[in-house]
Amino acid sequence: MAQVPPLPIGPAAGVPGSVPNQLSIETTVEQERALQQPGVKADELRDAPELGFWRLAVIRFLHHRVATGALLLLGVIVLTAIVVPIITGDLYRIQDYRHPFKPPFQSLQHLLGTDDLGRDELARLARGARVSIMVGTLAVVGYLLIGGGLGALAGYYGGWLDNALMRFTDIIISMPFLLVVIAVTAATGGVRLSTVIIVIAATGWYEIGRLMRAQFLVLREQEFVQAAKALGASNLRIIFRHILPNALAPIIVSATLGVSGIVLLEAALGFLGYSIPPPEPSWGNMLSQFEDYLLQNQTYLVIFPATALVLTALCINLVGDGIRDALDPRQR
Amino acid sequence: MTFYVIRRVAIGILLLFFMSAMFFALTRLTPGQPVSVGENPRIHQEQVNLRLHRLGLTDENGNPYPIPQQYLLYLGALVHLDLGDSYQYNVPVTKLLKQRLPNTALLLGTALVVALAIGIPLGIFAATHQYSKLDMTTSITSYVGVSIPSFVLGIYLLLIFAVFLKQTPLHWGFPLFGMHTGGVDDPLDLLYHMALPVTSLAILEIAIFSRFMRASMLEVLHQDYIRTARAKGLALDKVNYKHALRNAILPIITLVAIAIPQIVNGAIITEGIFSWPGTGQLAFQAVVDRDYPVILGVVMLVAALTVVFNLIADLMYAVADPRIRY
Repeated sequence: MAQVPPLPIGPAAGVPGSVPNQLSIETTVEQERALQQPGVKADELRDAPELGFWRLAVIRFLHHRVATGALLLLGVIVLTAIVVPIITGDLYRIQDYRHPFKPPFQSLQHLLGTDDLGRDELARLARGARVSIMVGTLAVVGYLLIGGGLGALAGYYGGWLDNALMRFTDIIISMPFLLVVIAVTAATGGVRLSTVIIVIAATGWYEIGRLMRAQFLVLREQEFVQAAKALGASNLRIIFRHILPNALAPIIVSATLGVSGIVLLEAALGFLGYSIPPPEPSWGNMLSQFEDYLLQNQTYLVIFPATALVLTALCINLVGDGIRDALDPRQR
Repeated sequence: MTFYVIRRVAIGILLLFFMSAMFFALTRLTPGQPVSVGENPRIHQEQVNLRLHRLGLTDENGNPYPIPQQYLLYLGALVHLDLGDSYQYNVPVTKLLKQRLPNTALLLGTALVVALAIGIPLGIFAATHQYSKLDMTTSITSYVGVSIPSFVLGIYLLLIFAVFLKQTPLHWGFPLFGMHTGGVDDPLDLLYHMALPVTSLAILEIAIFSRFMRASMLEVLHQDYIRTARAKGLALDKVNYKHALRNAILPIITLVAIAIPQIVNGAIITEGIFSWPGTGQLAFQAVVDRDYPVILGVVMLVAALTVVFNLIADLMYAVADPRIRY
């Protein structure tokens, strides 16, 4: 039987000269090795860092090679979206009528060629990336605030709020979403990016709302919440300190996957002319003239924005799935 | 069961009222009116007044009705399945919808059938052969499929088949029923016209169905009664396809019901790209023309269809799974 190590108070075991036969504060690593306890390697246990849930999740995510690669690529896209517009400045709207349809990869001046008005395609793509990513992130923040907030309240308190949330979801699901956004945009007098973001956030939050509700419904019945209640914690404290941290994992996954949905939706709206107005480029409105470009055989003007869009959405989806696997290893 | 159906239908009708009110308010809040002297100086003010009165916007003397009253008029007509007149085509919206709906139903129905016929077997195979090469391929394809919106896929398809391979025209003209006649008599021609739009709509659904089917099948395959069936010595095929499949395929019913409004959403742009003369293109054109009665009509139609399909899905679920009772 293993001996219970004495409390490390006072110079009990480590008296100079005596042979250490038990673990104590004074025993060195070498001495511990010399003890050779069967089964347990003392030094291995001692050096092992204590891994929390989130650190374990990060490690699991990094072991997922595809997801890590997608994250890197997404990082490159985001970096391009931030840095390139700063460097190129107004290049995205400077027209050069002498050099329209310059083919890509021919000169360093216009690396990805120019469009029908002689505007630099690379600068336009990067600026379009900025629009996509901005809309995606801001609208998801909206999802989290509205959906997370209402879902938490509905799940925690139940009652009429719960019913209202469910009916709202019924309504949203049965609406052709594109037409809703278009009608609202038209009603609010003109196409602005802020309108697009607000409308997407105001109509798309229900999925996160339902998830959050489901999480809260389960968690509020758990023992640790009852314990907190018994100890006299306020509702606010229970919601934020006890339930919310435990409810986060599926929300994060859903929010990540939501970003790709929003990016694609914004592109569809831009394609229809209901996102950011020209000359400001977005991947969607760069594609809206695809028929003219294809007729004139300028395929690169179609391939670049379409591929940028698909690649970004794919990366976000892969990262989202990686996070799902990392947060919930049982689901694999 | 009867009570449940009645309750659901009641909720559905309430929902339709709510949506019509919301959309009505939205469309009426937009500036401008369908007819004005400013747009066409050759018409008289009296004619404009008459026209606005016919559209249910003003009374006989040209004084605009307040919006709530306009809505009540609209509702009154809606009960008689009258969705008002289109601003653009000057014909009843219901007539337009009747013309276009068969085309859309044909396109979406085919896309759905194709997606089910490919997606579900693919998902089953991927689950029974987990981590095989085909499983991996299915996973990768479904990731890509989910990340490509149908309009981008449509553009890619046009790029490949019209520009690179020069097999199809870039701009489609349609000899279909509805606006034109005679097209349905030639099934091969119809098939040729449908190939690209159906593909661009079906890929997303194939991706969703196969992924969902795989997950659902895997979940069932790990349950105890499957192990029991195998331990009894039943043939693997019999276990997979008789015992597991029956339970795994149930959630697909809900998925199909949810997929229908999604496809309609995708069809709005896809039909526009391939000039398919369906309700999607009608809505697409109505958006461009700001033809609000038509937009409102399409929205109501989609909402009604969604409510009905959701109800059907829930009822079918109860029929398929005797454990569920309403």
